[in-house]
Amino acid sequence: MVKLHLDIMRMLPALAAAATLACAVPARAQSAAAPDNDALNVEQLFATTCGWCHSDGGRSAGKGPQLMDTKRSDDFIRDRIKNGKTGAMPAFDTTFSDAQIDAIIKYIHELKPE
Amino acid sequence: MKKQWGYFSLSVGLAIGATLAASSTFAQTVDTARIEAGGQNDWLTYHGSYKSYHYSPLAQINTSNVSNLGVAWIHIPGRSTRGLQSMPLVADGVLYYTGSYSRVFALNGATGEVLWSYFPELDEALVARQTHSPYNRGVAIGDGKVYVGTMDGRLIALDMKTGKVAWDTKLIDSQKLTVGFTGAPLYAKGSVIIGAQGGEWPGRGPIFAVDAATGKKKWEFLTVAGTDEAMKTWGNDSWRTGGGGGWMPGTYDTDTSTIWWGTANPAPLYDWSGSDYKTQGARPGDNLYTSSVIGLDIDTGKLKFYHQELPHDAWDFDSAVGEFVMLDRDGQKLVVHPNKSGYIFVYDRSAGLKNVWRITQNSNFVKNIDPKTGELIGRRDFSAGKVDEPLCPHISGGVSFNAGSYNPKTGLYYKLGQEWCMTLDIVKTTPVTAPQAQLNIGANFKIAPPPGGEIYGHLDARDPVTGAKKWEVRFPEPPLASVLSTGGNLVFVPDSRGTIHAYDAESGTELWSHADGTGHQGGIVSYSAGGKQYIAVTAGFGGMASDDYAPTFGGVYKSMPRDDGALIVYSLK
Repeated sequence: MVKLHLDIMRMLPALAAAATLACAVPARAQSAAAPDNDALNVEQLFATTCGWCHSDGGRSAGKGPQLMDTKRSDDFIRDRIKNGKTGAMPAFDTTFSDAQIDAIIKYIHELKPE
Repeated sequence: MKKQWGYFSLSVGLAIGATLAASSTFAQTVDTARIEAGGQNDWLTYHGSYKSYHYSPLAQINTSNVSNLGVAWIHIPGRSTRGLQSMPLVADGVLYYTGSYSRVFALNGATGEVLWSYFPELDEALVARQTHSPYNRGVAIGDGKVYVGTMDGRLIALDMKTGKVAWDTKLIDSQKLTVGFTGAPLYAKGSVIIGAQGGEWPGRGPIFAVDAATGKKKWEFLTVAGTDEAMKTWGNDSWRTGGGGGWMPGTYDTDTSTIWWGTANPAPLYDWSGSDYKTQGARPGDNLYTSSVIGLDIDTGKLKFYHQELPHDAWDFDSAVGEFVMLDRDGQKLVVHPNKSGYIFVYDRSAGLKNVWRITQNSNFVKNIDPKTGELIGRRDFSAGKVDEPLCPHISGGVSFNAGSYNPKTGLYYKLGQEWCMTLDIVKTTPVTAPQAQLNIGANFKIAPPPGGEIYGHLDARDPVTGAKKWEVRFPEPPLASVLSTGGNLVFVPDSRGTIHAYDAESGTELWSHADGTGHQGGIVSYSAGGKQYIAVTAGFGGMASDDYAPTFGGVYKSMPRDDGALIVYSLK
């Protein structure tokens, strides 16, 4: 059973709050966004979350830009995932580890038309 | 942190008020009786009155002179991320409204002078992580205070005359659950009722009642498996993926002391069960009390009655969106309630079903809903994989949360319908039971036009009980703002391109229009101040449904700001 550790936003005393949160979260099956050591199923992540704006698994432009064949640098994508864009995209810095964001970037680069 | 002030009546408050410089107008007590009476000159609760007509009896502005309508004043709230979605309230010539980030303003209704403002300090790092955020749909007033919900899970009460904080109660651990409040609260019988977001997150979608005087929580109703009976309708512990919530204000039936509220969809939004949804899929069972209308005892929060409009909702068609229109027909007391699917349900005052009619042209998620039993006939339950025929309506609904208007003079219900569909590719996902990443959709999807046609919106004038259509006005892109009708025989529709229209309530003939500078997705009210009638409308685009407009329609939507807005108030020149 993998214990979920959430990195709390900077405003709170990180450790104490994180411990409280980890204890308070209900027992759950393995979820799409798992902590550091678990591989992230990015395809499922798009179906649960990202797909709200990034249609067809990121292959089409829609509410959000097309991710397939993106011209953006990896640094740009990493920053955008972590910090979001006010009123347009949420910040995921407390949700994903760096390794998981790497997995998302890899998925984006590997996108092909269906 | 909760501040506790002793209760003080308005007569005492009046003496104190006289020494405070802020307010130049005299506010009388707003209480349950006054809200029920639905004052001539005021707009005392989100839906206009507890009858939820979104109607003003004022007739100073009418069909013969509406062409003389001009801008009286404008207010810009600032920081309007995702535009303005709020419904202004007015009491005794003072207008109260909110902007994004729960900014609250009290304005002189005749001049637009700012009497006071209050900007709550929010957990901005949390807000940055939220999807359905930071817009706010408005306030409630009563017991000498103005009440507003926040995206970080608080309900705040402000002194009506000064804007000073009376109490600030944290109701949801939003940092943990990531959801908060976007909807306006409801004041009734000394309580303030507010429902949390929920449908897209693994929570149990609570609805709260708070004591208006003290800010203490009185009760909490869990829309996901909130009773033993309901728990049985979530197979495989799927109540943990939850959803639910009640993110728009319902209403109060004073005859029976009952709170009527609409609940939101379950999660994941799209299931992979196939037709056997009672035993297979992500959340086997009917999933009570999601996508339902519920009646709660206002004092105890206990469930008195309910009707689940969509058992095992597999399409994200919340019951949370709609107004509860309380009207009488042939000696029967009825309640008319739109579900997000575009089906309109007609109940008696105990949620006994009387009729169901449909406002949308393009609808295939079910073949029909039995108007006597409410049974879903020919429901489309999906399995994992691409769905052959696009699903109609689109996830933005056959109707959205913007309210329709019932006009007791014409007997007609003026309601906006939306015609759009979606391609769908269902993905079997592992259960999301902890709120880390936002949302729990369960599918990849894209907006699509209806079969053989174009996307469009339409304002219908309908018999609210039978659904019989009297007239219809079409719009190339669905309007997303609420509708207002008045005793002056007018219907006002603020559209998505930015034009506000006035129509003859009997015939649907357009009599006046004006460009407000940006698209509308919020509220519109009418009130009187100093003997003069005003129409107040919020303009400012950028909410969830509007996200599709620029990529789908292009045109003006490509340059339309998604972080700006204004309150625009009209009167006769």
